[in-house]
Amino acid sequence: MPPFLRCVLAACAALIAFNRIHSAAAQQASPEPAENVTQESETTFSEGEKLFALHVQPLISEKCLACHGADQDAIEGGFDLRNRESMLAGGDNFEDKVLVPGNAGASALYRTAKRSEEGYEMPPKEAEALSQEQYWHLRDWINAGAPWPDEQRSTLIRQQFDQGIVVDTSKALSDDWQFRRYEAQNLWAYRPLQKVSVPNNAHPIDYLIDQSLKQAELPAAGQASATTIARRLSFGLTGLPPQVEAADAFVQQYRNDPGQAINDYAQQLMASPHYGEHFAQRWLDVVRYADTAGFANDYSRPNAWRYRDYVIRAFQNDVPFNTFVQQQLAGDELDDRNGENLIATGFLRMGPWEQTSMSVFKETRQQWLDDITDTVGQAFLGHALQCAKCHDHKFDPVPTRDYYRMMAVFSTTQFAERDVAFLSAENQANFANSDNWVNEKIQAYQQQSKELNQQVSQKREQETGDAKVGDNGLAPGDEASLARMNKNMQRHRLELDRTKPIALTVYTGKTIQYRNVSTRLLMPANPWNKGQFDTDAILAGGNIYSPTDPVTPGALSAAESLGNMNHQPFPASRGKRRLALARWITSPDNPLTARVIVNRVWSWHFGSGLAGNPNNFGATGAAPTHGPLLDYLARWFMDNDWSVRKLNQLIVSSRVYRRNSTHPHPELVAQRDSQNKLYAVFQPRRLTAEEIRDAMLACSGELNRQVGGIPCRPDLNLEVAFQPRQIMGGTASVYEPDPLPSQRNRRTIYAEKIRGLRDPFMETFNQPGPDKSCELRETSIIAPQALTLLNSEEVLQRAIAMADQLIQRQATPKETIRQAFEICLGRQPDEAETMLCLQHWRQHAALPAPPEPTAIADQLQRTVMAEKTGQPYSFVEHMPAYKNYQADLQPADISATTRGLAAVCLVLFNSNEFLYLD
Amino acid sequence: MNSAQTHHRRAAQAWVTPTRREALYGIGAGLGAVALTSMLAADNPSAAPAKAASASVSGTHHRPKAKRCLFLMMEGGPSHLDTFDPKPELNQRHLQAFTRSGEMESAMSSGKRYFVKSPFKFIQAGSSGISLSEPWKHLAKHADDLCIYHGAQVDSVNHPTACYQLNTGNQFGGDPAVGSWVNYGLGSENDNLPGFVVLPRSSYPQGGAGNWGNGFLPAKFQGTPLRAAGSPILNLNPQQAILPQAQRSNLDLLGKLNQKHLDARPGRSDLEARLKSYELAYRMQTEVPEVLDLAGEDQRTLDAYGIGNSNTDAFGRKCLLARRLLESGVRFVQAYAGNWDSHDYIQKAHGALIESVDQPIAALLADLKQRGLLEETLVVFCGEFGRTPDNGLRGGGQSYGRDHNAKAMCMWFAGGGTKAGHRIGATDEIGAEAVQCVHHIRDVHVTLLHLLGLDDNHLTYFHAGRHKQLSQFGGEVIQELLA
Repeated sequence: MPPFLRCVLAACAALIAFNRIHSAAAQQASPEPAENVTQESETTFSEGEKLFALHVQPLISEKCLACHGADQDAIEGGFDLRNRESMLAGGDNFEDKVLVPGNAGASALYRTAKRSEEGYEMPPKEAEALSQEQYWHLRDWINAGAPWPDEQRSTLIRQQFDQGIVVDTSKALSDDWQFRRYEAQNLWAYRPLQKVSVPNNAHPIDYLIDQSLKQAELPAAGQASATTIARRLSFGLTGLPPQVEAADAFVQQYRNDPGQAINDYAQQLMASPHYGEHFAQRWLDVVRYADTAGFANDYSRPNAWRYRDYVIRAFQNDVPFNTFVQQQLAGDELDDRNGENLIATGFLRMGPWEQTSMSVFKETRQQWLDDITDTVGQAFLGHALQCAKCHDHKFDPVPTRDYYRMMAVFSTTQFAERDVAFLSAENQANFANSDNWVNEKIQAYQQQSKELNQQVSQKREQETGDAKVGDNGLAPGDEASLARMNKNMQRHRLELDRTKPIALTVYTGKTIQYRNVSTRLLMPANPWNKGQFDTDAILAGGNIYSPTDPVTPGALSAAESLGNMNHQPFPASRGKRRLALARWITSPDNPLTARVIVNRVWSWHFGSGLAGNPNNFGATGAAPTHGPLLDYLARWFMDNDWSVRKLNQLIVSSRVYRRNSTHPHPELVAQRDSQNKLYAVFQPRRLTAEEIRDAMLACSGELNRQVGGIPCRPDLNLEVAFQPRQIMGGTASVYEPDPLPSQRNRRTIYAEKIRGLRDPFMETFNQPGPDKSCELRETSIIAPQALTLLNSEEVLQRAIAMADQLIQRQATPKETIRQAFEICLGRQPDEAETMLCLQHWRQHAALPAPPEPTAIADQLQRTVMAEKTGQPYSFVEHMPAYKNYQADLQPADISATTRGLAAVCLVLFNSNEFLYLD
Repeated sequence: MNSAQTHHRRAAQAWVTPTRREALYGIGAGLGAVALTSMLAADNPSAAPAKAASASVSGTHHRPKAKRCLFLMMEGGPSHLDTFDPKPELNQRHLQAFTRSGEMESAMSSGKRYFVKSPFKFIQAGSSGISLSEPWKHLAKHADDLCIYHGAQVDSVNHPTACYQLNTGNQFGGDPAVGSWVNYGLGSENDNLPGFVVLPRSSYPQGGAGNWGNGFLPAKFQGTPLRAAGSPILNLNPQQAILPQAQRSNLDLLGKLNQKHLDARPGRSDLEARLKSYELAYRMQTEVPEVLDLAGEDQRTLDAYGIGNSNTDAFGRKCLLARRLLESGVRFVQAYAGNWDSHDYIQKAHGALIESVDQPIAALLADLKQRGLLEETLVVFCGEFGRTPDNGLRGGGQSYGRDHNAKAMCMWFAGGGTKAGHRIGATDEIGAEAVQCVHHIRDVHVTLLHLLGLDDNHLTYFHAGRHKQLSQFGGEVIQELLA
């Protein structure tokens, strides 16, 4: 790092100093009108020259030259901005009035940049519009006579006066970028963690949060009720509603000792396996977990579930986060005799990917390299790196070289489904059922295929022409069905690997080209024998066919320089590149990693991060609202064995966590903290899609709490399940649920996640798509949510099961309603509510009995288009799952009394109180 | 001149002051989706209430040529060579050996390849003399309304990636569909209907619903598929076991419980919006079937669209429904037909497919014209890519079919300010690659937005640290297509 930068980077030990640097930076960024500039009393350079060197020249090269000078043969509008002479000469439209020295108002350069010249707003992209500060610099420079010092003089000016920070990075594509300056507040994430001191007897979260509340003169809301906190803790730590007895015990204890009660209950919740499941779901959002590969074939990834269960185990057993990172990135390089390590590297294969005979391997390989580089950046370092693929990053100190250095880490990483014996912790239940279903499916196709082949060979006539035109005597569906069945048999055969001791993993070696990947990929005996050694180079414009400068494996150079990291060069050649990256990421002096995960955990509890974009810690991400707290927690986290569980314990033990979600003076909050960034109240949230389904199953008593194992198939909206779905070569097999309620009614994290077939219930409630990393769940409020909760079969079935369970307890009607409220909402109903519900119950019990449901047959006729002939054809598909299918409890199975109560339960499932967490 | 550099020179004439686009940023916690969107928007439950009012802000960047768009999505990759791009040279080379080289070599280069001529004759139709293959009997009457474009190219020869790119600009999916962007930009014309309606086939395309997803835009901009079979909108109607009066009483009890809950939490607009969404859902149960009911249409209209004829019924219904939706103020309708993936028997497959869409499309154009709607309706017809002039061995023998081709494709426009009665651009003599007026699909997107009064460079949404736009990183208007 150039020494003159050190002054700005001076470490600030205390919290106050930390704040000061932020406000100082803010002052630097404020617009400076001309009067202020001329007050400067430096002698050697004129103000105009300084404006040019410090502001105008960087502006022109960043915003204008791409179209007005970079390519001499394609200068837009003849408007060349490379030097003063060509500027004065003007362009096609404004002739010599582009730059009128001394008169900004008359200069088209200023008017277009200010966007006041209609039809010629520059730069044309609104997103790139200049700030007021920027076009004022331009104005003041023109008014100062538009001086244009030469490069040497400009450099001198910059060295003497520039106040931004130059960041030492690997090497930029351009010198301009290499030496550009960053505002201090945009580099916070690369700086070493600040030492933040907290008085001994204070809870650090409360101390630091209350400080900013005090500054804003905003009193915090009071403490939430014990029942509210019980629900908050239970959903927050396990994603499930509290069990009635546990909540009761908590409420009792809370009266005497709130702090101890919360500690004990949190410990209890985190000891339940549902804690691991819930936190795993959060992580699976980040890594985009799915059980299929997506795109044209959407092939099964039969062993992906072992990675999912690894993540659950890791959170459950509180594997230190640094180990968790290393296992996922480089478990094989760490120790490939350790099964857990190999399973963990499934992380590297979570994105959608396929190679068909229609694709160029080199391109799909590059697609993966791009995907994993960007994903590792987002998941562990809070940096979307995609931007740097084609050009040095516009806002962050991430040169394109860093992108390709990081990509080089993965260029010897190869896919394989390796043998890994089952671990004792892995759930092997239902293996036989799974295999039986797959085999039945294959056998049914084999049988149909055999019959059809016989028919076809009898019917088939010799084609008459010199090329086949389809005059072969066959019906439209004949050839299409053969192709369809072949494809589906192939797809199902892959599913047989689901129960085998195989892991979706990687190895390090040379790249072997595959034309078509449709079966298990084996690891070669010698990974360095066959294939080619991929060269590591910067790809011009991100284009795989345009390699330029060679690179060696590395990571984010700005984190190394600004963070004062003490790092070793990464190995190249046959070395363990990923392990080096994993160690770099988990190095205690890496400024990003701990901040990123601590921020995620915070956002999982509070609905938003201390830094607002958990996947983006760069200049365009939201800056931290409580920088010192983030730093304190990051340091605390590393000091406490990188333990997520301990961090949770710290968070839930704070008074901030216990706050009420309503404030006694809402107008004060609106006035002083309209964005609710100060934590004066606890931010309420809607349950996630998975939480809604799981909570309904928990309330109805149907939830099978088994942990882990092969994916289950819940009931899916039948219209969606039976709707034909196109895949390469035909139509995918119909979606069949598991035959038994206990198999289907497991937690949603275990539901088979098929990229090409989203569960409409989940999608409607904002479950993120499985293609992109999700940093935080979104909540929309759309009418289909109401339709789903009111009208769908699945919600009705939960209501019926809950009613049935309550009726079996044989309590009085009033007591039954009380229990319904307790189970669903975690509280007692008041008299009015009880009366309303009793009335509703009676009214609905008096309605006529519903018709008997029609059982679903084990065959389905479907009509689709035959690709070869462009005509529709019908076929029958066997659905073995429906041979022994046991439906959940149906309206016709229960008494009128139970049906009436089910109507009450249905309404409770629809209520805001059930769906929102205070 | 490359495309990144020319865009702004041309797109610049501002008509209406650009809207407060910034005000729209960050309303990610969106709302409302299927219908009556603005009703919901009025009660935007966004986490940032101050910004809520702008959720329905809309407006054009310049004088629009078209107010609405009908996108006829010919899924599977229709062959330009057998529809609108005659290549007599192929007759000479029929079944002669074909070699492919270069970057794309490894894709579709298996075995011996051979040229394939079109099985169809071509006719020159209308006073413009535009060429169409013979099966386009009905569309030929509208030749003078068509602006046929031969210059478009895409990046992928795989169906799902190419479909994603055509529909969202991004090959790998996850970004907002064109219809979502258009509605984000223009807002709704009719508060009672969704602004972006998709009429998929009964089987969903490869890549599924991601083809009409809202991506990072608020959920209200999602395409609403009206399903071809079964319930048009999932769960529109209660389970059989729930009687209508039962549902009403459920809603009443729910309303009371929710109101009590809300009263204890004043100012929570999200909870209030949920209350309203239930009333909306309830009304949709009667209103959606009304829109879809074709019973009010006279027999002549039904016949014109080919409804009742088994070959044309499915797409005829989509086209008539599309007209009704557009007429009622839906901004963007996308109707799917296919599957055009004819690797084998072009004559049979494309023949049947053309027949299935020809009469409905012609009837739709006539109907729009007769109602004075065509001028302000941009009609787009295209697939995700075109097809090759050659084929590989199929089942060990030569077959009269074609593979996928990203470098030349089949596309035409009608109405909406496009140059009627013209062919724009050209492919090489064998139709393997576009060689004149060549543009990436992103420029087609930019042009589409332009015709609707939107400037791709201004129609941005801040997400994940970047101002994102349909063209991904900017494109240019294809001037040649404009009337």
